[in-house]
Amino acid sequence: MLELPELNPVIHGKLRLALLSLLSGVEEAEFTWLRSKTGSTDGNLGAQLLKLEEAGYVTVEKKFVQRKPQSLYRMTEAGREALTEYVQALKQLLGGAIGG
Amino acid sequence: MTANAEELELKDRLSLIETMIAEGRRSTGSWAWTFVFWGLAYYVAIGWTAWSQWPWAWLVTMVSAWVPCWYIIRRQRKNPSNRRPETTVGRAIFSIWIAMGISMTFLFPALGFSGRFNQHIFVAVVAAMFGVANGASGMIIRWKAQIASAMVWWAASVAACFGSENQCTAVFLAAIFFCQIVFGVYGMICEARERRQGGVHA
Repeated sequence: MLELPELNPVIHGKLRLALLSLLSGVEEAEFTWLRSKTGSTDGNLGAQLLKLEEAGYVTVEKKFVQRKPQSLYRMTEAGREALTEYVQALKQLLGGAIGG
Repeated sequence: MTANAEELELKDRLSLIETMIAEGRRSTGSWAWTFVFWGLAYYVAIGWTAWSQWPWAWLVTMVSAWVPCWYIIRRQRKNPSNRRPETTVGRAIFSIWIAMGISMTFLFPALGFSGRFNQHIFVAVVAAMFGVANGASGMIIRWKAQIASAMVWWAASVAACFGSENQCTAVFLAAIFFCQIVFGVYGMICEARERRQGGVHA
């Protein structure tokens, strides 16, 4: 019988998955841009980004630009690998066990 | 959860990944106005040169045009709603245009100082460079309108090698109109449409 892959629970959350996917297409992104693209609230977005940061999938750089705080998020190599593995697992699940 | 519902959820996740990756890559910024702006600057330079016969009119106009252009770009970047993340695609396109600008900045004054400058060479080289920049940008972002603009520039470059100086000027004016003004306005309409569509919410 075919061994089904496990889906990474850190990435599986809808908002976290959206955030990692967004970050995979850009070099770095501001908190405000991520908020506008996901339509999330500040609190929820901050919490999900923190989980991704704790997992080592994103890094954050906080700085002040003209006295205004700016948080720049960047996807790490581990994040990129985790997203690739997640997509492969998804495709395997969709192509194999569930449909069949 | 039934197998069917689970499959739908997984497909939904896959679709979310594809949409978000595409959304991130789409962020190349609002640049269409620069085509219109520089198109108008070229018209000013051409008109000033024809009217005054002053050889430095082009250089002075180009340098003067950089000031408001740089100011507007700075203002745009300060505005949080306009700030977009840097993408590899965006940086690649920006590099092409900056490299083209640097080439022109050095080449044309050198041609002028050496006494080897003439209108046919100027229009042919400018049009060829614009063809390269528009063609490369259009191919990177797969935008047919910009590739068409590049083709007009390439045709203008070839046409500039033939005919009289007046015909050469007419070719240049027409190419600027179609590839800078018309294409720029079309680009601005596309960008406004994209902004109206807004974000793709997760």
